[in-house]
Formats: sequence, structure tokens, C-alpha cells
Amino acid sequence: MSVSNLLSQYGDRYIQALLTTWKLTAFSFAAAFALGVLITILRVCPIKPLRIAGDFYVQVFRNIPGAALLILLVYALPYLKIIFSYEVCVLIATTLIPSAFCSEHLMSGMNTIAPGQIEAARALGLTFFQMIRRIVIPQALRSTVLPMTNLLVATMLTTSLASQVPMRPMDLTGLVSYINTHATGGVTAFAISAALYCATALLIGFTGSLIDRKVRILR
Amino acid sequence: MNMETPVIELRHVDKHFGLLHVLKDISLKVYRGEVVVILGPSGSGKSTLCRTVNRLETIDSGEILIDGEPMPAEGRKLASLRAKIGMVFQSFNLFAHMTILDNLTLAPVDVLRIGKKEARMEAMRLLERVGVADQARKVPAQLSGGQQQRAAIARALAMRPEAILFDEPTSALDPEMISEVLNVMTSLASDGMTMLIVTHEMNFARKVADRVIFMDDGMIVEESDPEAFFLHPQSERARDFLNAVHSH
Repeated sequence: MSVSNLLSQYGDRYIQALLTTWKLTAFSFAAAFALGVLITILRVCPIKPLRIAGDFYVQVFRNIPGAALLILLVYALPYLKIIFSYEVCVLIATTLIPSAFCSEHLMSGMNTIAPGQIEAARALGLTFFQMIRRIVIPQALRSTVLPMTNLLVATMLTTSLASQVPMRPMDLTGLVSYINTHATGGVTAFAISAALYCATALLIGFTGSLIDRKVRILR
Repeated sequence: MNMETPVIELRHVDKHFGLLHVLKDISLKVYRGEVVVILGPSGSGKSTLCRTVNRLETIDSGEILIDGEPMPAEGRKLASLRAKIGMVFQSFNLFAHMTILDNLTLAPVDVLRIGKKEARMEAMRLLERVGVADQARKVPAQLSGGQQQRAAIARALAMRPEAILFDEPTSALDPEMISEVLNVMTSLASDGMTMLIVTHEMNFARKVADRVIFMDDGMIVEESDPEAFFLHPQSERARDFLNAVHSH
């Protein structure tokens, strides 16, 4: 099938799939970001068991393949009488894995903060949480805009996991499988999805560098 | 015998870095309004001593009292006692992501719970006093070293501290900027601020100190008024030190 054939026949579905991919990406990234910040605070807090738990979390979810995690969520959890919808399973998988990477980025962002600033914060009488909230996290975030931009793109690509379960509405990759089982879209069906992924990634990248230039800390 | 409670008191403080015994049975009192200068060769433990006062360095044994209250090793009580003691560092340590003004208002608002508006007014007054009010809206990297250090002094003052610790405040500065910082410190001293200063600026020490403490090898070797120390040092180590300093 040609591009124009595919678009005339599946155009609406492509748009719906693109919106689905965007929605999954936005929800996953927002949740991964919040979770990543939380895990990072655990990893630097004064209580050792919490630090160990934070490190363990990151090791687990940084190293587990997305497909394996999704299979566990969809097929293993029901044995524990925990049943989520396909969409929720996908969202959990595409949140947990990026959250580990988010935490790794934040840890490296923290390393850009001169230790003297931490001493100054302590000398001024700030508590641990005040220091984290006002000094550490803001600087870590502002120095990791570009890696976070990459993470957002990676999160979007990870949402293609949704194609592995019968989730409705379908995401961009899921739609390609659908088209190719109902007609012979061939590589062209993939190419359209790929172009949409690429366009989104370019948009994200552009926005990311814009933000980075605006918030980068002068040193 | 002075019966008043010292603002800062150290009792028999000992500290090791691994096998190195960096503070040996240090006892020290700083009274209200006093300017105490700690001198000594590199590695004598003077910086470490300064940093142990607000527990930026842990200690192995001994006691640290602020206004007669023992300083705990951690927790909220430690934070609230630290807030009473200002600190000025060699490398300024201003918060890089904030304007100078926000550097000054952060702790008064978050720690002392002073209103934002009041904190800003007070901050501007202090920046005026140290001569960097025109830099208030800039971030630290846009200021010279001397301006940053004066802003850092203003940040310490914004907490209305009982005393201020100075840990080699001019050692990272170009010569022409040293005097602008020392001038601010001199004016603080004449206003009656309690200060514990580690420095290599001998003329400054002689001019502002009420008392000089000479340290070597982790011990307080000599403690006297500045004239006596500079003219008639009692110990041989202090004589060697002063000769080395004055020989060029």
C-alpha cells in the first residue's frame, strides 16, 4: 500500500494513535519525574536503610527489560489477585523504568553542586529537607534539562510497549501491527509511525534546548 | 575571672582524620563582642577548629557549647544552634542558582520565619552596608570574588548571628580585593560583632584582634593579646612562624 492509500484508509487512526502515544508519554514522564525526585531524595537522605532502598530500586528498574516488566504486570500480578487494565499496566511499566533513569540523571546533576554550598546551607541552620528543596533539587534539575529531554524521548519510545498488549485505543506501534494483520501495509505503515515519532522527538528536543538555555546556571 | 557565659565554648575537643590527630584537647572561649584571631602554619588545624565550632566537622570527644547550650551532633537542635552562628568560607559558597538578594533572604525566611518583605528590606540594608547593593539582582557568578565574599558576609549577617566564624575569608581573593573584604570585617569588629577568624593576614590580625590564638600541630600553643604575641611571642614555634611570615 502506498502512503496515500494508508492515510486515506487509516488517517484518523494514525491521529488517534499519535494522541494515545502522546498521552501515555505525558502521564508516564510526569509520574516518572515525580517518582525519580522522590527516589533521589531517599538515595541522599541521612537514613542508611532508605538510601539502600533507593539504590536498590534504581538498580532493579534500570536493568529490567521493559517487555519483561510488562509481562510480569499483565500475566503475573493476577496470580496475586491484582488485576490492572492493560493501559494501567503499560503506564506502570513506562513509569517505573524511566523513573530509575530520572534518578540517575538527578544524582549526576547533584554532583555539579559545589560541596561548599551544602556546607553553607548547613551553617545557615537549614534542615535536610529545606536544603533539598531550596538548594539541591533546584540546581540538580536546572543542570539536567538536556538529559531529561533525552529521557522524555526515551519514555515516548518505551510507550511502544503498549503494542504488546491488546490496549485500546492503540498507540503508534500498536496501530502498525493492527494494519499489518488486517492488510499489507508493509514497511510503509511503519514509516508513517516512525515519522510521527521523529517529529515528536524533534519537537521535544527543540523545546528542551530552549528551556536549557533559559534555566542553565551560570558558574 | 570572667563570669559571663561565653558565646562559643569548646571543652577538651579532640579530632582525628584517620591516624592524624588534628585537634588535640582544644579548649577555647569566645565572649560577647570579642574578636579572636587564630593564626598558625598550614596544617596546624586552625581551619578544622573553626569548622568544628558549628559541627561542619565531627569531633571524636569533647564538648561544644553555644551560649552555654551543648551542641548536639545532629538533628533539629543542631540546625537551630547553627543558625545562631554565622559562617564565612574561603570559597564564598553562595548559592549559584539564586540572585544575591535571594541568597540573603533564604535562611531568614525559611529558618527564622521572618516575613519575606522584612527580610528583603533587611537584606538590601546589609548589601548596602557591605557595598554590593547594586549587585542584588545578579547571580553570584556575575560578581567579582571580593563582591561575592562581601555578599557572603551580608548573608551571614542577615541571620542576626550571635557570632560569625571566618574560615580564611581572603585566601581565595586577588590582592586588590582582599582589602575590601578586610575593611568590611574591620567595621564589623568595631561595631562589636563577636568574631572567630582564621586568617593569614597578619597586619589585619594585629589591628582587629582582641586576642590571638596560635596553633601548631593540632594544639593551641599560645594565647595572648595581639601586641604581646607579635612583639614577644613566648614559644619557639610562634617565633619561627612569625619570622617566616615577616622574612619577605
